[in-house]
Amino acid sequence: MDLFPLYLTIKVSITATLFTASIGLVLALLIAKKDFFGKNLLEVIIMQPLVIPPTVLGYYLLSLFGRSSSIGKFMEDVLGFQIVFTWKGAVVAAFISSLPLFLTPARAAIEGVGKDIENAARLLGKSEFTILRTITLPLAWRGILAGIVMAFARATGEFGATLMIAGNIPGLTQTLPIAIYDAVQMGDDFTANILVGIITLFSFCVLYFANRFTRGRF
Amino acid sequence: MGLSFSLKKSFPGHKTEVELSIGEEVIVLFGPSGAGKSLILKLISGIIKPDEGLVAVDSEKLFDSRNNIDIPIRLRKIGYLFQDYALFPHMTVYENIAYGITNLSVPLARQTGMKGMGIGQKVRELMELMRLEGLENRYPNELSGGQKQRTALARTLAAEPRILLLDEPFSALDYQVREKLRGDILNIHKVYPITTIFVTHDIEEAFMLGKKIAVVNHGRVEQFGTREDVFYRPKTKNVAKFIGTRNIFNGVIKSINSRGITIYAEGIGDCIAEQKPDHELSLGQKVSFGIRPEDVIIRRSDMPLNRSLEHNLVDGTVTGIIGKGMNYTVYFKSKEDVSLKIDIPNTAFKRLNMSIDSNITVSLKKESIWIIETLNE
Repeated sequence: MDLFPLYLTIKVSITATLFTASIGLVLALLIAKKDFFGKNLLEVIIMQPLVIPPTVLGYYLLSLFGRSSSIGKFMEDVLGFQIVFTWKGAVVAAFISSLPLFLTPARAAIEGVGKDIENAARLLGKSEFTILRTITLPLAWRGILAGIVMAFARATGEFGATLMIAGNIPGLTQTLPIAIYDAVQMGDDFTANILVGIITLFSFCVLYFANRFTRGRF
Repeated sequence: MGLSFSLKKSFPGHKTEVELSIGEEVIVLFGPSGAGKSLILKLISGIIKPDEGLVAVDSEKLFDSRNNIDIPIRLRKIGYLFQDYALFPHMTVYENIAYGITNLSVPLARQTGMKGMGIGQKVRELMELMRLEGLENRYPNELSGGQKQRTALARTLAAEPRILLLDEPFSALDYQVREKLRGDILNIHKVYPITTIFVTHDIEEAFMLGKKIAVVNHGRVEQFGTREDVFYRPKTKNVAKFIGTRNIFNGVIKSINSRGITIYAEGIGDCIAEQKPDHELSLGQKVSFGIRPEDVIIRRSDMPLNRSLEHNLVDGTVTGIIGKGMNYTVYFKSKEDVSLKIDIPNTAFKRLNMSIDSNITVSLKKESIWIIETLNE
């Protein structure tokens, strides 16, 4: 049995989650703490993947990064960086579609650190960066971690958008969910069952531990 | 160090406009809930930015809207005690107190603390002062309310503030704990004589802590003076009400002579007041005057009338009696339908032997009647 889809899924999910945890954390801090022009619009755009069909999302990504767009052309010609029909495309799809699942709990956790507590630190002479490092993040880390776990789980299961932008190239861009689809289509019940089992067990474990881990005293 | 401020801030439905100048003393901002007392502290500290105004510690300006000065909160060196403590829940008592001492990270502070050097010594001193010994490794959720607030106070003092702002710090605590902490505040002020503003809506707390009291109402200071002035010589009806003068009447000045000021009030008759108010009075002028519930004396029918009580007698009936532990509150209605609230000690109440609907005579002690303000026609 070919285990490449499992390997690729793990690689794509981890990479996408790294993006989510870094870029997403900055976005979560920005949205939780600052008021700026277009904040509402930004939130709506980030949340879109929760409500639009994955194929539509995939279509947007394809149009954005494909050779026919100037961004895609620039990346390919100047940076030598191809997104469409590569595993990087799968990362982009996983990142965009898992971002809202990270943002919601992370933002709630950051907002949940009381204003008085942060003001108390300010009044004690601490800079904004020190407060973030010693007060806000240590108090919000459970929510942030829950967001990371949710985003990771969502990234491993990404199907529609991935299929659109990365395609279904066995040994190159075929992730686990796509391999399952393929196996069922070809009547290969054995492979389908095993892959389904793997992904079910994995998702179950992730949520189970996320749930246990994020319950705490603070 | 002295603090002076003059601040303006408008919110929909609320307007604040205050101006005060205070020295190295404890002053109390006293007023009903929603009067804008806490907001004043937030404006001074910079937690909320004033629309316009000035905040200065001695000659150093912390905020000046005219010259675009707005020093960040962290550089103001103002200590602030929140009503809900605002302790850092992920840090121990020790770490909370040490947090503001230097810019060292907490683990480093803990290390130096263990070696008994600078920070550790200071934390221990404060813990001793605040009766927190033995609690250094507890987390805030393992502390009682009083311990939490004492930790918060130690944490605030550790940063060596120039000004101390206390925002109803004891209102969530029970009576005994509150009593003790008030004593702590006075002790601390002896050890660290910092300019302190204490916000409360508790009249007893205000009287105990503040040699000077500012009565705040609707975002303005209605009266600022010594506690004796505010309590016994309120300048407005509102102040009189807030400090518990329940018996407030309107009357007309009938005569002014060496024996006192005679005021005629409907339902009471002629009333003699001994104390002269700060403002000028003239015959025929309308005034409001009041008397505190504990200064209304119920006459004992079985004894000859004391000479000091022979003035301002009012006949009427008892309409209600409420026992309050230390004293009784008696509600009284005169024949002409004027209501009075009377507070008398337990022992006096027992001797009077009265019940609802008893007919009694009360005396409004002439030395206790205070003319609050003159009224326009």
